[in-house]
Amino acid sequence: MDLVLFVVLLVLVAIAAGLVGSLTGLGGGVVVIPLLIIFFGASVPIAIGAGFVTILATSSATGAAYVRDRLSDIRIGMFLEIATVPGALIGATVTVFLTHANLESALLVALGVVLFAIIPGSLARRHIELPAPQPPDARSKYLGLTGGYHDEALGQDVTYQGARTTPALGVMFGAGLVSGMFGIGGGVFKVLALERFLNLPMKVSTATSNFMIGVTAAAGAGVMLAAGYVNPILAAPVAIGTASGAFLGSRLLPGLRNRTVRILFLPVIAALAIEMVLRGFGLP
Amino acid sequence: MNPDGAPVSPPIEAHRLPDEAYVRMTLVLRLGLGLAIAVLLGGIVAYVLAHPGQSSENVLAHNPILNYLSVPGLGTGLAAGSIGAVLTLGLIVLVATPIVRVVSGLYYFRKVGERAMTAITLTVLVLLMLGLLVIGPFIR
Repeated sequence: MDLVLFVVLLVLVAIAAGLVGSLTGLGGGVVVIPLLIIFFGASVPIAIGAGFVTILATSSATGAAYVRDRLSDIRIGMFLEIATVPGALIGATVTVFLTHANLESALLVALGVVLFAIIPGSLARRHIELPAPQPPDARSKYLGLTGGYHDEALGQDVTYQGARTTPALGVMFGAGLVSGMFGIGGGVFKVLALERFLNLPMKVSTATSNFMIGVTAAAGAGVMLAAGYVNPILAAPVAIGTASGAFLGSRLLPGLRNRTVRILFLPVIAALAIEMVLRGFGLP
Repeated sequence: MNPDGAPVSPPIEAHRLPDEAYVRMTLVLRLGLGLAIAVLLGGIVAYVLAHPGQSSENVLAHNPILNYLSVPGLGTGLAAGSIGAVLTLGLIVLVATPIVRVVSGLYYFRKVGERAMTAITLTVLVLLMLGLLVIGPFIR
């Protein structure tokens, strides 16, 4: 493909990925990595490297609006990064070692499986906008893992406090591991931990997940960049397009109900997951 | 707990960072992203103009930044006006943006005297630097 056409198409695809990524809190990599492999001829580690760039651009573009609007909980995000960052460092290191061992097909199958794992996580609580209150644990009380915001769609003030921090940290480590291995942000797993264990409202979970995704991606991206697996000719158009799409998505989020966003997104994930597994096994 | 058994609304303001922290973090994200995008955009346009007729397959097979992934290599490349070095700089700014946000968080948690959150944030920062400066170059 001609380089100019290649760059233009990358930007257009990345705009769509950034839009979807910010609306779902997943970071955009979930869409862009399989598309880079399927349609742009990228190798698996180079696509993953570009995925990290996608996540970084999305998180910074939408994170600014979320932080400004107080939807992102900085305290809870920072606390949980103590688990996601080591996970991401280990995950990215594993990916580099698998690449060195010529096991890219195994990475593809694993990526497909992870994409499938996102689907039930997204379906599990899609009808719940606000969780029933739960008592906080001792760590949550000690660190003051509490906050509040005004929900535009529901038309009410919402307050919350983190509940079960230990299982949340465990899930966050796993989310960091997945993010580091595949450059996909691990947003759905982060949102799962924030909703199900910390018992946070969906919009705070989405915004805080987005806040955390950038730091987790910086850990994985640092490893992949220094190891030589971030190609800027692929990654730069992706970053520019994704940031544009993500900015647009962050403008739409406050007025959208979460179930709409999730239901629209799930069939796309399923199709990409199937394609990754088939490719990993060498099937057409 | 209130009489019907539900937890009482938490004291949010007692645990909220100063507004200045939110403003600064928003600024860090916008400036970092804007700078990274500007540098990357300039770099990619320059690269495309400097390589007319090149195929995407060729570009994917040869990562143009491999010579600039060390501090001396990047410095030499930037001084020589290398497009690869400019693209590397843009990527570094993009990766550094959330790291600067962590530094900002560290500053404000320390400023308000929260030792536990300061220690947590400092640990995160050390781990991030470990990945970029030690693990990545070591496994390359």
